[in-house]
Amino acid sequence: MIEIKNLSFGYTRKKPLYKDLNLKLPVGSIYGLLGKNGAGKSTLLKNFTGLLFPTKGELMVNGFIPKKRLPSFLQTIYFIPEEVYVPSLTINGYKKLFAPFYPLFNEEQFYNYLDVLDVQDKGKLKTFSFGQQKKFIIAFALACNTKILLLDEPTNGLDIPSKIKFRKLIASVFTEDKMIFISTHQIRDLDNLIDHVIIVDNGELLLQASTAEITQKLSFKIVDTIADENEILYAEPSLKGSAVVVENTTGEDSKINLEYLFNAITGNPAKAKSIFHKN
Amino acid sequence: MSEVFSIKRFLLLFKKIIAERPTQTIGVSALLLVLSFILYVAAKTIAGFGPAQNLTFIWGLAGGAFFLSSFMFGYFNTNASGSSYLTLPASFLEKWLCGILMAGILYPLIFLFFFHTMDAAFVTAYHNGLDKASLFYKQQYESVYNFDLNGIIAWKVYALFLQLTGVMLTGGLYFNKIPFIKTGLAICIIVLVIFGVNWLIANAFFSNVNDAGPYDHVTLSVGKQTGTLILPTNLENFFHITIAFIIPVILWFLPLLRLREKEF
Repeated sequence: MIEIKNLSFGYTRKKPLYKDLNLKLPVGSIYGLLGKNGAGKSTLLKNFTGLLFPTKGELMVNGFIPKKRLPSFLQTIYFIPEEVYVPSLTINGYKKLFAPFYPLFNEEQFYNYLDVLDVQDKGKLKTFSFGQQKKFIIAFALACNTKILLLDEPTNGLDIPSKIKFRKLIASVFTEDKMIFISTHQIRDLDNLIDHVIIVDNGELLLQASTAEITQKLSFKIVDTIADENEILYAEPSLKGSAVVVENTTGEDSKINLEYLFNAITGNPAKAKSIFHKN
Repeated sequence: MSEVFSIKRFLLLFKKIIAERPTQTIGVSALLLVLSFILYVAAKTIAGFGPAQNLTFIWGLAGGAFFLSSFMFGYFNTNASGSSYLTLPASFLEKWLCGILMAGILYPLIFLFFFHTMDAAFVTAYHNGLDKASLFYKQQYESVYNFDLNGIIAWKVYALFLQLTGVMLTGGLYFNKIPFIKTGLAICIIVLVIFGVNWLIANAFFSNVNDAGPYDHVTLSVGKQTGTLILPTNLENFFHITIAFIIPVILWFLPLLRLREKEF
């Protein structure tokens, strides 16, 4: 569980990146944190892991205050930054040195995940390609079985087949007692994977909703003509007319398009807020 | 599970640090010993035993530990390795102790053993090579002796070692990139500022300053002669103890606080 109360954070005192942020994220979900470049996605993840400290407010992760970086807290959370660190060790060597720090590490799962992600043991990790190194760290992190897994731009550097394998693996290992938090600006990579969407922009939380709630409140469809522009949250020309995001007033079921959702929320935050705050 | 210190976790961490960065730990230590050996041999050939012993002891112990210390917390040159280090489930005390153990305890002990063995071997070889029948045998024999690890020079070097290692361990956590160079520059700037300010203050009080040693003395020209003003004994002792022990202790503990407070 991640609980944020009135959190403020800034790299400089004069220009806060986040101001009075409030969030409550229970375990049992795969969260997608979406935002533009520089929106503060990585900063938020670093606050969760205790790498950065809030300037104001309260932050509790798994019942711990992250900034204390207590070993028992760090055993419950694994953070994979955008660029991963691998020392000059073999897969086996890495496992032997790093795994003992994580009491729930499962060796069988580790080798299985490596197999699924097609990471072959070909000498020192340093000699692996960037994508292979990233897949190796993802496999290791998953095998650590931490309660919370934070991934910052995990699909950067992965080829298309690897992205598909990554999605499948995340979906297959996820259990109700865990939380997976994926931050990305490559929105399409999260299609059919996440069940909660968080959108941040300019240090502000614009949306926090489950995919079920989103489809209940918004409708994603293709229309021939746009009748009333005031009703449209977002529109984009497509081959068969216009792809639009509108308020779902009829209760119809539609498939979320994360890219359109993101554009709709960041392009029209006030309107989106009013839709989501309606009972 | 202890959040502060666990011997099992500490040993795992120490093993991990050595195994994941053998070049920066074992490699650098070995290189420093080799360089010490070369320096000893070269200085002995050029200037004789005394200068060789002093030079090697200063550079090998104080200089070597200073250089090695720059690698102890050198994880912050990339976002990836810095994050990995700080989020590894070990306490900041254990992480600090690993750095201290390697650069502040193990390396100096290994160096002292190596230096003493090397020095004793060369001195013995010199003594054995002397012509016992020579008139100057006794004089030649007594002109060369083993470096006294408990002598005045040795203790001055121990103090220097404590200061430099402390500064570098601290610098390694304040400067994320090329800490060795940045800390070296910071030391030079601090020393220059201290000496400069001291010189200016001394000149503000006296018009005929010859030399001004910070926290120690002022030498004045009086006519054709010079006179030295020294601190009263109690003040002198205070500054000497502060510089030799109190400041190093602070510098050695600063990384512990910095590790706890470091954001990355």
